Amino acid sequence: MEMFLTVLSLSVVGVLVSGVLFAVATRDARHAEAAALDPIAVPDEERFFILRPAQRVRHANARIPADVLVLQIERHVRLEHAAAESFLQFPSVEALHMRTLSPLAR
Amino acid sequence: MTEQQPDLVKGLSAEDAAGVLSLGQRASLAAGAVLFRLGDPAECVYLIRRGRIVLTLPMHIGGRDEDVVIEEHVPGQTLGWSALVPPHRFTLTASAPLATELLAFRRVDFLPYCAAHPEVGSVVALNIAALIGQRLQVFQAMWLRQMQRAVSQVHA
Repeated sequence: MEMFLTVLSLSVVGVLVSGVLFAVATRDARHAEAAALDPIAVPDEERFFILRPAQRVRHANARIPADVLVLQIERHVRLEHAAAESFLQFPSVEALHMRTLSPLAR
Repeated sequence: MTEQQPDLVKGLSAEDAAGVLSLGQRASLAAGAVLFRLGDPAECVYLIRRGRIVLTLPMHIGGRDEDVVIEEHVPGQTLGWSALVPPHRFTLTASAPLATELLAFRRVDFLPYCAAHPEVGSVVALNIAALIGQRLQVFQAMWLRQMQRAVSQVHA
């Protein structure tokens, strides 16, 4: 009887220790899996086949200094102005919606 | 000024054009000087003789107001037609990015002259209408292009 209880106790302790070690070992893997499912969970992380366009644009804009943004806007206005004048020279639906090189127009 | 006839007097004989241009008072701006600010009373129409004038609108960027260039005018071009259109307030800010010379036509001189010389006045009025119409059409097209992009993004 004593031997049976000793073996049972050791088994229970062994199972508990194994469970704790397993949980610790798999925690990192679960976090990574959750991040792959939620594109916004890990900022700045680059992986193949994971698309985070909105987040990437938000980070890109946050890094642009105001002066640089003003220059981009002014370039955009010049290109749009030129496109509008071109449309007025030869009005057509295609000319009205002609694309420009402005990154702000995408 | 350019060899071409200034847009304000386009279509007038040399004699009539000289009569209109004689109403202008010469003005000089140093590089960086402001000609008028948005909201200022508009008393004069300006014709650029040398240099350049940029028209700006304020935009709120990064927590502060920035003047964004939306138009650039070169010698021979007229600006400031708000002086002829009620409520006679400028709707843009004009400044000189480089040393610039202008002719300033005061409304109180300009309108009586046109009234006294109706044939000249009608040509000048049509020239100003063309400037206003061109601005309207350009910005109408720009507005529609911007709206089209907004709509395309919503339906993307």
